Amino acid sequence: MKHVSPAPETRLILAGLGGQGVVFATRLVAQAAVALGWPVIAAETHGMSQRGGSVLSHVKLGPYLSSLIRRGTADVLLAFDPNEAVRALPFLRPGGVCVVNAEDGLGYDLDAQLEQQAIAVHSFPATSIALALGSTSLVNTVVVGFATALGCLPIPQGALRAYLEDLPPGRRERNLQALEAGARAAEDTLRISARETG
Amino acid sequence: MSIQVLLGNEAIALGLVESGVRVATAYPGTPSSEVLAAVGRFGERMGREIYTEWSTNEKVAFEVALAASWSGLRAAVAMKQVGLNVASDPLFSAAYTGVRGGFVVIPADDPGPHSSQTEQDSRLLALSAKVPVFDPSTPDEARRMVGAALELSERFSTPVLLRPTTRLCHALQALALDEQATQQAPVAPVGFRKDPSHWAATPRIRYQLHLELVEKLRQIEGLLEESPFNRRQGEAAHARLGVIAAGVAYASAVEALGELGVAVPILKIGTPFPLPRRLVAEFLAGVDRAVVLEEPDACIELQIPDRSRVFGRLDGTVPSAGELSPEIVFDILHRALEATGHTLAPLPDPVFERHIAGLPLPPRPPRLCPGCGHRSAFFALKREFGPQAIYPSDIGCYTLGTNLRAVDTFLDMGAGVTIADGLYKASRLTGDRRPILATIGDSTFLHAGLSPLINAVHTGSRFVLVILDNHTTAMTGGQPTAATPSQPSQRQVSIPELVRACGVTFVETASSYEHQAFRQVLRRAHDHTQAADGGVAVVIADWPCVLHDPAPLLEHPVPVSITQDCDGCRYCVEAFECPALVLRPDGSRVDVDPAVCVDCGQCIDACYKGFIVPRLAEIAPSL
Repeated sequence: MKHVSPAPETRLILAGLGGQGVVFATRLVAQAAVALGWPVIAAETHGMSQRGGSVLSHVKLGPYLSSLIRRGTADVLLAFDPNEAVRALPFLRPGGVCVVNAEDGLGYDLDAQLEQQAIAVHSFPATSIALALGSTSLVNTVVVGFATALGCLPIPQGALRAYLEDLPPGRRERNLQALEAGARAAEDTLRISARETG
Repeated sequence: MSIQVLLGNEAIALGLVESGVRVATAYPGTPSSEVLAAVGRFGERMGREIYTEWSTNEKVAFEVALAASWSGLRAAVAMKQVGLNVASDPLFSAAYTGVRGGFVVIPADDPGPHSSQTEQDSRLLALSAKVPVFDPSTPDEARRMVGAALELSERFSTPVLLRPTTRLCHALQALALDEQATQQAPVAPVGFRKDPSHWAATPRIRYQLHLELVEKLRQIEGLLEESPFNRRQGEAAHARLGVIAAGVAYASAVEALGELGVAVPILKIGTPFPLPRRLVAEFLAGVDRAVVLEEPDACIELQIPDRSRVFGRLDGTVPSAGELSPEIVFDILHRALEATGHTLAPLPDPVFERHIAGLPLPPRPPRLCPGCGHRSAFFALKREFGPQAIYPSDIGCYTLGTNLRAVDTFLDMGAGVTIADGLYKASRLTGDRRPILATIGDSTFLHAGLSPLINAVHTGSRFVLVILDNHTTAMTGGQPTAATPSQPSQRQVSIPELVRACGVTFVETASSYEHQAFRQVLRRAHDHTQAADGGVAVVIADWPCVLHDPAPLLEHPVPVSITQDCDGCRYCVEAFECPALVLRPDGSRVDVDPAVCVDCGQCIDACYKGFIVPRLAEIAPSL
């Protein structure tokens, strides 16, 4: 599997809806990075905004002081919903990467703007993959597995697996399968793009 | 030793346990709610005997912890910023009486506001109460400040505030944890010692205590001039611009200056009160101008006597409301640097951001959860009494009843009852005959609803009070209430018995899930308010929070479908407002979103045309 060596400093935005497990995915990435010995600071959404609204997390790997990512400076955006992806796009820096759970792209014509900002969007049907595993609640882990296997997120799969191994039985197996399924989807994407370019 | 990712609130809790706190109390409120439970968890893991409790309100929590301090134990109390308003009475008095064991008060401020009624600054309350306050910038610093705050508290016999803000409370940071560390409790727990000159001081002695307090603050300020939490960074040479920053705004300022590639001196203030005024004066002498960045109001800035070269909130350089986001901090510093002759790279054109701002993205306001019993109660209220009735309400998840237009007012904890009481009294003078139907949650009722109810009964008010009893403090994550004990040593307090003891003669409990029966109870309650010998009527709407206790829902699932007859009239979408009922983009009909629906079946009553049906009926239609 293609693996990008860890970038020392990464600014990551996770975007989704209340109930989609943004907080769980935040903890997954943060704990895995800590296990690798990297400094981590992150920001979560709690309280009233958790009730079904847009939920946004910021994760910063590296020696940062502030938990928040300024708009226009994030390296990576992981989105569990296409509308929430579009809402969070202004966080990305020029040249940043967006991974989004969507059946059919972002749903808006943003090609000109994305090209101007040199932002790459990788969209894939994480909901279908999660449903095939038994629950839409696994979308978060599927997306994280996809992003790491694609090389967008500089965290080795092993570190993510180690965190999921500590979950209670049941949740553990389902999340490990979801991570694996996300990674497989990424490998398929890489194969297809390799065929197209080769 | 292990490295763990901790929430800012957990880092504060860790600091409390590491510093030998023995009694910790709190009333839940975003963004402070995670502190107390984490004190319990760390205490258990580190083998400390610590008493923790969710108190009935913040004043109670403050006083329970203060008495522990008077007993020689280190103690802490946590709350959200508006909770400190409730506890401000003991705060102001305890500044005079002083403490024995270190006593730290943790009010979490909410610039934004994200989940609060106000953006008030607890540091200004500390200044007003003459109590020292620490202002941390990161979870790691908050953890270290806890120990310093407790030592200062003990040394000068004063309560000390540690004031985090939302972005610190809900930041996650990797921190080193030494679970084996053993620390002696700094004060021998000898128990309460009588000392009427402090604990029972009369006004004459209070004057003396006030003089002592002022002298204490003078000494504390001298000490804080040398504190590592107050420090100048950057070169000593004279600079055109300097930055004075505190709290989360300090972290944003450091990163923004790094991104701008400009080195300017920064004065980091960790104790806004007492402000190390000599340090500030020396810093100002070394710069042409200074920008002050602090949240949510001007506390440091107000204490600088000569502000002719100081820019902040008071002159409009810093916005006077809202959170100091990284974008705003960056923008303020960019402008200040340009104004002081620094040459900067031009700001990128935000054309992309503007383009996205113009897209028709679906708005995502907070909503009651699918299956929430509050929604059913509100829907029944609206069906029974219509849009003309007046619906005062209170603070909690059910504030979201505004979406169903079943909440006309909310002010502060307990005001749902008092505003109803006052509206009734005003209606006697204005001739307004509209029914008044107030709602309040179980935890909020126990927090601040009892005195208002006693007042309303005693003075002959007439309105319906619906206590929305979901058996928990739901909005803040499901903390227990006095009616739902969480420990074997605790006793259950009965809400209906309390209501009866207040003198209410109409008290009925009904499940908000039984739509028709619930409406009949509401009608009878209203009749009671109109009867010759009537008065306040209380209905307890009983249904557990679906997040906290989904069992009843799981035991009796009622899957629904919407028939082909649905004409997209929008009634259910607007009047019932369940996230699982989704109007098609072309407006032709409503569908049930299976990923969101929890099979509560409550929306069956929300289609008066009968197009929302139990799925069973669809499979085997009656002939």
